[in-house]
Amino acid sequence: MKKVTIDPITRLEGHGKIEIFLNDEGDVANAYLQIPELRGFEKFCEGRPVEEMPRIVPRICGV
Amino acid sequence: MAKPKVALYWAAACGGCDVAVLDTNEKILDIANIADIVFWPIALDFKYHHVEAMEDKSIDLCLFNGAIRSSEQEKIAKLLRNKSKVMVAFGACACFGGIPALGNLTNRAEIFQRVYIEAPSNANADGTVPQTSTKVTEGELELPEFFDTVSTLAQVVDVEYFVPGCPPPVDIILKVVNAFATDQLPPVGSVIASDKTLCDECDRVKEQKKITKLYRPHEIIPDPKKCLLEQGVICCGPATRGGCGLRCIKANMPCRGCFGPPPKVADQGAALVSVIASIYQGNTEEEIARMVEEVVDPAGTFYRFALADSMLKRKRMPPTEGRL
Repeated sequence: MKKVTIDPITRLEGHGKIEIFLNDEGDVANAYLQIPELRGFEKFCEGRPVEEMPRIVPRICGV
Repeated sequence: MAKPKVALYWAAACGGCDVAVLDTNEKILDIANIADIVFWPIALDFKYHHVEAMEDKSIDLCLFNGAIRSSEQEKIAKLLRNKSKVMVAFGACACFGGIPALGNLTNRAEIFQRVYIEAPSNANADGTVPQTSTKVTEGELELPEFFDTVSTLAQVVDVEYFVPGCPPPVDIILKVVNAFATDQLPPVGSVIASDKTLCDECDRVKEQKKITKLYRPHEIIPDPKKCLLEQGVICCGPATRGGCGLRCIKANMPCRGCFGPPPKVADQGAALVSVIASIYQGNTEEEIARMVEEVVDPAGTFYRFALADSMLKRKRMPPTEGRL
């Protein structure tokens, strides 16, 4: 099955990739959006003082 | 004559460095006048295969922001390094690991467990976590490997210049652009910021550095004219490079070190521990024990932005088993 890859997705905040599978007729059989990005704020914010959160979590997205 | 080619990329980052470039406002037009931007995912529609097709060293300047957290980021760092004459670690994450490197206090297994299994907002009864390769009906899908440990850009590829800050301030960005445009870049290896510490540049009144208690923000309203450290508020200024324009200090907030260590300091956190230890006045075992307790989060405070770049690099713990 033919695969079309759009990597990276551009002009947005963050990282993304699209995989499109084409069938024998050249029509779209299926498409997948993948997010190849994770930093783990959910975990590494644990243990940090609550008053520091306003200066850590803005770095989730600076756009 | 063809214009010089410039590439901008983000790895493990938040996009704030890219926005800081746009914060140059109308000067962004000057940048566009003197250079062709050939790759910039946040703003322009170029793909990885466009970069792969370029000749080696055909990009004149690459401003690379973000830390190296995944195999994809490592791959693109190496790709852009091969294609670029001058590689700049742009911003705290690329220079020192930045906020994403707080992930070095944990590892992939713990992060995946929290993010994909335990987070209350999840609906993931099967306990699915990302895999580098997934079979689907139509074929195979691939994701980059999520590393256990975050690295700085210079730990992965050779870097010519370092532009610190979270994000780098506009005046420093313009300094870099002007130096590049006029062919007056400093010696390779330079950090493009101040050579003084933040303390040296801070205009708050400094009297005597002797403290008997550390305060958390809810316990004190600091005098905006006096040194924060002398008031018992942990400020990373003595072990942080200057050049930021005192953005936090002017907001009556202590420095958290986003410009990284000053010249000749190898480990910013160790330098900060040394500062606090030398000004803390305690004479008995009990007093010293209390003072140590008052530092609520030593690793996250002293190594807020530079854990990946430090001698410790990460918390010691067994690596996550398996590839993913």
